[in-house]
Amino acid sequence: MSDLPAAGAEAPAFSLTDRRGGTLAFDGDGDAPGATLLFFFKHDCATCELTAPLVERLHRTLGPHGLRVAGVSQGPDADTAGFVDRHGLSFDVALDADLTVSADYGFDAVPALVLAGGTRRVRRSFEGFAKQDLRALIGEAAAACGVAAPEIVRDDDGLPDHRPGCGSKIHDPEVARRLAVRRGAATLGARRVRIPVDDDPFEFMASQGLGDGLPVVPPTEDRVLRMLEGTTRAASDVVARVPPNLAPATVEKVAINAVMAGCRPEYLPVVIAAAEAACTDTFNLHGVLATTYFATPVIVVNGPIRQRIGLNCGGNVFGQGFRANATIGRALQLLVRNVGGGRPGEVDMSTLGQPGKFTCCIGEHEELSAWEPLHVERGFPAGASTVTVFAGEGPRAIRDQLSRTARSLGASMGWCMETVAHPRLHRMGEVLLVVSPEHAKTFARDGYTKADLRARIQEATARPLRELLPDDECQKGMVPGALPPELLGPDGRPTPEALDTPLPKFRRDDDIVIVVAGGTAGKFSAVVGGWASGAAGSTAVTREIKG
Amino acid sequence: MHNESPVILDPTDERAPMGRQPAARPARLEGALGIIDIAKARGDVFCDEVERLVRERLPSLEVIRLRKPTYTKPAPDDLREEVGARCRAVIQALAD
Repeated sequence: MSDLPAAGAEAPAFSLTDRRGGTLAFDGDGDAPGATLLFFFKHDCATCELTAPLVERLHRTLGPHGLRVAGVSQGPDADTAGFVDRHGLSFDVALDADLTVSADYGFDAVPALVLAGGTRRVRRSFEGFAKQDLRALIGEAAAACGVAAPEIVRDDDGLPDHRPGCGSKIHDPEVARRLAVRRGAATLGARRVRIPVDDDPFEFMASQGLGDGLPVVPPTEDRVLRMLEGTTRAASDVVARVPPNLAPATVEKVAINAVMAGCRPEYLPVVIAAAEAACTDTFNLHGVLATTYFATPVIVVNGPIRQRIGLNCGGNVFGQGFRANATIGRALQLLVRNVGGGRPGEVDMSTLGQPGKFTCCIGEHEELSAWEPLHVERGFPAGASTVTVFAGEGPRAIRDQLSRTARSLGASMGWCMETVAHPRLHRMGEVLLVVSPEHAKTFARDGYTKADLRARIQEATARPLRELLPDDECQKGMVPGALPPELLGPDGRPTPEALDTPLPKFRRDDDIVIVVAGGTAGKFSAVVGGWASGAAGSTAVTREIKG
Repeated sequence: MHNESPVILDPTDERAPMGRQPAARPARLEGALGIIDIAKARGDVFCDEVERLVRERLPSLEVIRLRKPTYTKPAPDDLREEVGARCRAVIQALAD
């Protein structure tokens, strides 16, 4: 819709370079004693061709009486010169090279005519060609100059009554985007970093230590603005305070890092929710980062947003080849590195690390699961979209192509999960069990619930305490501090009766977090071991993804 | 690369890194010495031994034993304040 200033409105001031290299300014009540007429045109517009001779005649007629006429061309200088010569225009013409003046005037079509009096008050304006509007404008201009209206248009002059204009150049897609950047950039608060002109931006960013070892996309203003279109939140909103420096991450900073990671704008709300979840005290990102262990945020996405953004829940779910998965996980890691200051060798002291520290984000394959999905289990409506962050190591295989009953398959899973951290370490905290669709079918066929599976895993892994204690065979095992007090005698050592107490692998059944994911072929599932769990460690956190 | 804008937005927290220099080592130990157990397994064994050696060699020194609630999180504010208020020097011990 046109925003051309109407009669009574104040026309925007401007100053442009005219075709002779001088300045064409429209910045006050001006030097015209009568009025100023602005004529916006494009050199290749037929309606502008029609209008230009009439504007020239008006200039010649009323110019001596105090009408100032100024042309504003949306085209380049050479084309503008052709237009001026073709019509013998004798009034000043300026070039609106970056189209900011046209954008400020807000018209949709050219020609656009604006007649303004003192203090830039608009007396009459219109766009396109309309004989009646032009006649009225001429009358206004003459009145402003204190003379009778000249007869520039006549009923029998052969001109059409109406002719629509041509689209203003500000609506050309490339120009519109550039103008939006110019407007939007003013709202961005981040420090600007100028890349030396001879430097490759990718090499420059790597040299500044801003990446994860892979090339990052340079976060230019237009890319960041486009990224911010993915959220309704204000750029200045603080999403979280990011450990270890507890630095505030605004929506804008999240967007900058999302650009670097390669995200599309529609992924941004997922990254924001993941950052919120990871920066809670419950998740304890500081500890996850600082530990010498393998832990890193493993992101699980649930709900309808998976389809909307093309997040992979199927084959190769932990693998490469899916932009949403690859870049959402990476964006969180870059945010922690760049905003939080969590860099390897500094606060990140992991002994071996793991590939998931580049990125790790999966979707639950809810459609192939007979169970309620993770987010519903954790209290969110099925229609909500969520992220869950889990401090995990890399996925390891659970291979069972032979089990045809849920009970047998549950035992397989438990025995494979026995190796998490160390087979002798029981009463472990949270673990993420990723059940493949084929395995999920086996459980569904036997009516196994998630609770049944958890119970079966605990049953299959339970071993008497005596088998879990350090001995001459292996010095690793459960230490008294990791045992419940009721198993210890007054000397702080396990009582003789306690030695026969069976201890399952996990402290509580609910510590086994279960999701269904992966491709439809393959009787393989995966276990993702956790880190220190509970109040002293990290507990999985789920957050709703909002706009 | 020629189409790239030469200007990018800073992805960091824009805080110039603070040069955190440790305090100068005291020329000699006097007053109170804190020994902080970060709460890792067998940290107490290590700290006990450090304390024994300190008491043996520097009997005039006051030894204050302190312990973080967990090694997985930074020391809480009250512990940091206690260290600052009571200790002239500290030994922070790892374990495993």
